[in-house]
Amino acid sequence: MALIPILQLLEGYLGVAATRHQLIVSNMANIDTPGYHTQDIDFRSELRKATENNGRELIPAVHSVPGLLRRPDGNDVNLDREGLLLAETQMQYQIGVQIMKSEFHRLLSAINEGK
Amino acid sequence: MGIFSTLEVSGSALAAERARAEVIATNMANSETTRTAQGGPFRRKVVVFSSTGASAFRLLLTGYNRLIGRAPGGVRLVQVAEDSAPPIVRYEPGHPDADAAGFVAYPNINPVQEMVDLMGAVRAYQLNASAVNASKQMLQQSLELLK
Repeated sequence: MALIPILQLLEGYLGVAATRHQLIVSNMANIDTPGYHTQDIDFRSELRKATENNGRELIPAVHSVPGLLRRPDGNDVNLDREGLLLAETQMQYQIGVQIMKSEFHRLLSAINEGK
Repeated sequence: MGIFSTLEVSGSALAAERARAEVIATNMANSETTRTAQGGPFRRKVVVFSSTGASAFRLLLTGYNRLIGRAPGGVRLVQVAEDSAPPIVRYEPGHPDADAAGFVAYPNINPVQEMVDLMGAVRAYQLNASAVNASKQMLQQSLELLK
């Protein structure tokens, strides 16, 4: 573990959130592509992978989401699902950034001897 | 992979949906066109979308070689094809494009179908525009760390 373990954890967390965001954006881009299947990652297992590897970004295990209604053209992107997940991931990312920010402030206040 | 490439992905979707809206507009504008350069009435155009993987070059540069061909990417307009439906024939003997029996071939375009398609394109465009905004906000938040 590095000097500040929580920053390393947060780095892993932000990496997973960013990866998921990318998948959601990709799903949204392909909303009219025939035969496209919704892609996602398992947030929990990816986060565990990232934290167990000291926050180093790993190759994410991307899978097709089962159980979605498939349209006649073979596409199963659900607009509501992607919209909600987009907002959720954005919030998760914001949480990570805010905690990281407060951690830096704490560090700074220690450097400034609490002044 | 990275937060900047999400903007590329959304951008490709914006471009594709805009092109789709243009093709629909062409169809609606030419719903009564009986003469074309190829001869015969105008034929309805349809777009063909295909998903693209993330750029192999970028993946190599960022060290994600194993993801080549598997990483998700954007969307691309691969073809503007012609609808194979036969033209609609109307009896108008006085029309300059009428055949010997007095029938004129008109494009097989259904305005309701075109309007619904156009709405779909507009909604998809809005959806991807909001995805761009979300990516932008996340980038902005990361930049805040530097302050």
